[in-house]
Amino acid sequence: MRRLSLALAMLAVLAVTGCSTLGVKPWQRDVLAREDMQLDSDPLDAAIDDHMYFSKEASSGGRSFAGGGCGCN
Amino acid sequence: MAASCALLSAGAARSEQPTPAPVDSGLLEDWSVDSALAYYHEEGRIQAVEPVVDVAKVFADGQALDFNVTFDALSGASPNGALPSRNPQTFSSPSGKPKHQYTTAPGQLPVDPDYEDDRIAVSGNWTVPFTRLDQVTVGGKLSAEDDFFSATVNASIAHDFNEKNTTLSFGIDNEFDSIHPIGGAPVPGGDYALAGKQTGGKTKDGVGLLLGVTQVMTRNWLSEFNLSFDRFTGYLNDPYKFISIINGAGGTTGYEYENRPDQRIRKSAYWENRVAWSPQISTALSLRYMSDDWGVRSDTAQLHLRWSLSNRDRYIEPTVRWYRQTTADFFTPFILTAQKPATDYASSDSRLAAFHAMTYGMKYAQKLPGLGSRPESEISIRAEYYQQTLDVRTPVPQALQGLDLYPGVKAVLVQIGWRF
Repeated sequence: MRRLSLALAMLAVLAVTGCSTLGVKPWQRDVLAREDMQLDSDPLDAAIDDHMYFSKEASSGGRSFAGGGCGCN
Repeated sequence: MAASCALLSAGAARSEQPTPAPVDSGLLEDWSVDSALAYYHEEGRIQAVEPVVDVAKVFADGQALDFNVTFDALSGASPNGALPSRNPQTFSSPSGKPKHQYTTAPGQLPVDPDYEDDRIAVSGNWTVPFTRLDQVTVGGKLSAEDDFFSATVNASIAHDFNEKNTTLSFGIDNEFDSIHPIGGAPVPGGDYALAGKQTGGKTKDGVGLLLGVTQVMTRNWLSEFNLSFDRFTGYLNDPYKFISIINGAGGTTGYEYENRPDQRIRKSAYWENRVAWSPQISTALSLRYMSDDWGVRSDTAQLHLRWSLSNRDRYIEPTVRWYRQTTADFFTPFILTAQKPATDYASSDSRLAAFHAMTYGMKYAQKLPGLGSRPESEISIRAEYYQQTLDVRTPVPQALQGLDLYPGVKAVLVQIGWRF
């Protein structure tokens, strides 16, 4: 619970202090547009890995919803 | 600007990503296709073959459609929850046709050698931008196995601001599962020898909430932070797992079916950072912390490094992942006859035990000329090795010492992919 509180605090700090100074102008997005810089650059790899971990571990989700739609756990 | 940011949360980058599919309309050939065939093998346990196909299209007005079909064929040996013994152990298998018995040799982990299941899952998502800065996604998923059926609906909303450097997103999903164990659902905590089975199917439902922020940090650095919460209620047992009952001398006197609480609440925090170090090298580092009301806490760290070669027409991607979890409050590897567990709940499922795990992976991908009007295609192959080591500290009767009571898991995954 303490770590979750810390995570919430980090979120709040990022929200309040970060946005106005972080970021780039629209013409500076060349690197961010690269395929390897996309958060879901390999969705099938991630889905297959998540399915493996879902069936072997007590944790799931985080990147997206935790439910698996699978009877394997 | 800072004040407006106070409302924030997750997804900026998704909206400024290049579209995964050619932006056009009308022709079927404008759909992008991502496909993979995975083979998974656990040492001495199950193996699975999993083909996946995903098709997506972005329309000229910004709407996007995505459909996915996944098939799983599993077979092999699955642990039944009982503990290795100095003597042979005989069990009834609910798997296979007809119902039959199997015997586990002394010192071996009891596994049902005839485990078999097929799964097919279909899902779809529809994304609609309703202003220049806002979009809504709705979707659903159906998944069916021999003894299990699941239906999930989901919806999310994302808002961009701060010149699209920040995205706040919020999502909700609702899962409805129906379980029809082969041979009937056992009475939780019931005696295995009596084979008491309940009639009819079982159900469980889940609700998940996800709140996230995606933030462009610099020209080379993108960060995502998610908080999630999910709650499952209903039948949360594994109907095929039971627990050995051991006497003080280490002899197995019987078995009883596992019995889990009928509610589970999980909370997690997830943080991912993508950094481009050079035109050729980028990394994705993710950290996750999860806790649930069953007493499980887990930490996960994963690093992908992508190294592009030859003018970015091919790349290699090594991966390493570290994971550890604490035990669920009611996990017990066995039950002593003289000492029933403090709680009525009990499970010997190793997925609820304390353990740590490592994954090592490598991927190689090659860009190829596109098919038809598509700009390019890509073929890839990747392999992963997963090793799970149990950290169970429960004292065992002397007669069982020296046996490999908690052998853990060693698994290999090999996957080929093709997208165009």
